[in-house]
Amino acid sequence: MLEVDSLTKRFGATLAVDGLSFKTEPGRVLGFLGPNGAGKTTTLRTLLGLTIPTSGSATVEGKAYRELRDPIRVLGAVLEGPQFHPGRTGRNHLRVLASAAGLPTGRVDEVLRLVELDGAGRRRVKGYSLGMRQRLSLAGALLGDPRGLVLDEPANGLDPQGIRWLRDFLRARAAEGRTVLISSHVLAEVSQTVDEVLVVSRGRLVAQGTVDELTAGAGRAVWVRSPARDRLREALEAKDVTVDDGQGDWLTVNGATLEVVGDTAARNGIAVHELYQQSQSLEDVFLQLTEGTEAGR
Amino acid sequence: MTRVVGAELLKMRTTRTFWGLAGAAVVLVMLAVVLVLALTDDAFDETDVRSLLSSAGGAGLMMLILGVVFSAGEYRHGTIAWTLLVTPARLRVAAGQALACALAGAAISAVAAALTAVVALPWLGAKDAASLSGGEVLGIFGGGILYGALAGAFGAGLGALLRNQVVAVVLVLVVLFVLDPTLTALLDGYDKFSLGGLQTSLTGGSEEDFGGEDLLPFGVAALVWVGYTAVLVAAAALLTSRRDI
Repeated sequence: MLEVDSLTKRFGATLAVDGLSFKTEPGRVLGFLGPNGAGKTTTLRTLLGLTIPTSGSATVEGKAYRELRDPIRVLGAVLEGPQFHPGRTGRNHLRVLASAAGLPTGRVDEVLRLVELDGAGRRRVKGYSLGMRQRLSLAGALLGDPRGLVLDEPANGLDPQGIRWLRDFLRARAAEGRTVLISSHVLAEVSQTVDEVLVVSRGRLVAQGTVDELTAGAGRAVWVRSPARDRLREALEAKDVTVDDGQGDWLTVNGATLEVVGDTAARNGIAVHELYQQSQSLEDVFLQLTEGTEAGR
Repeated sequence: MTRVVGAELLKMRTTRTFWGLAGAAVVLVMLAVVLVLALTDDAFDETDVRSLLSSAGGAGLMMLILGVVFSAGEYRHGTIAWTLLVTPARLRVAAGQALACALAGAAISAVAAALTAVVALPWLGAKDAASLSGGEVLGIFGGGILYGALAGAFGAGLGALLRNQVVAVVLVLVVLFVLDPTLTALLDGYDKFSLGGLQTSLTGGSEEDFGGEDLLPFGVAALVWVGYTAVLVAAAALLTSRRDI
């Protein structure tokens, strides 16, 4: 549904996005991760036609956003730090959008209920908390019941219940076959929400895959405990993997999977009492991939 | 386009700024009318009556400012991003805002004209002032309403082009009160194409009021003003389509 192809965006001397390419599939939640200044917001705003690319393209269902006939029904957007007229009520903000899109006012009340903001809809936005503004922004994105959602840091300002609500909501949307592209710096939240992750650094794609694929890298050590530790070490070293002694009967194996260690022990008739792979979080992977790359956008 | 204009009108009506400027426009016009009637002891000849009734067109200045504040306010408050997410076509948005401001300008100027008629006509009658024909009176008020509409649209185009409320409002005031009179004094033939000269042509004021000579006829003045507005709206749309939001 969304396709970014060789996208490059330069702001003066700063290269914000550097030849970035990716695609999204319907029915999947795609996480878009990167440190500050990695080019996430620029990429998302280019998809939405708000930023003009220096070269390359960003399309929605094969068209530039500006060419969409009825964009609010195709792609809903939550922008980072959403802005509103402070003197306008939340409900009136949505009524303006609905009016421009030819949607009935009843839809405004529906989305206000959906984001649990119906009680505050008639209050001026200047009295809203950050979390309420995020909910109002999400209500705006949902107004046209779009086939896809692009959300830039949507969890900012939400309380833990709000974040859980958002997660469940986005999963439900994806289950309906809709596309969701979400950027966030809260990695724990992303890892529980997304099907696939894109990691960008300095405007370039540095990794793409499911959370399991990214966290199952070769860098994870296998820990094994055996009463015949020395024999097991010799057998594993013959497999060209790095084996270090741990405390007691433990060995730390680098460069081998759980299956290789277990099969090697079985083929050599060596008893194994414990076997596990050291877990690596999405945050570990993220930090490894993007270490030292934070920059001003 | 109807949807865009409807949304822009709703956007206008749902802020206090709009009602404040609308109220100020009507109050200022009424203040001018009442003060002139109350403080002038001399007999009102036709020129005086024409000048007084054309005060209703004074609401146009506030409509100009309303247009500027409204469209530049979209950039000040960041709401332009929402607008363009729903209507990505820049020209439709710029033209829609100009049309909405024209409608608002016409409506507010109509209120100012109606109140002027209610207050001034009986008062002039009591003062035994020179009388204008019904057609002339309607022409003056109609011109004032048209000027309010055109001024609102012009302001919206200028605000969208400059994107900065303060700069745009200051520019309007400098052009009207400094540049126009100065250039009128220095350049032959400038006055008829100046904003002040066009306003006088449209609102039915006398040439002496403006200080210029040989003003354009009503219809031509309206066309010139529409041309200015079209250039501003097109330039705003073109620049917005080439700029990041």
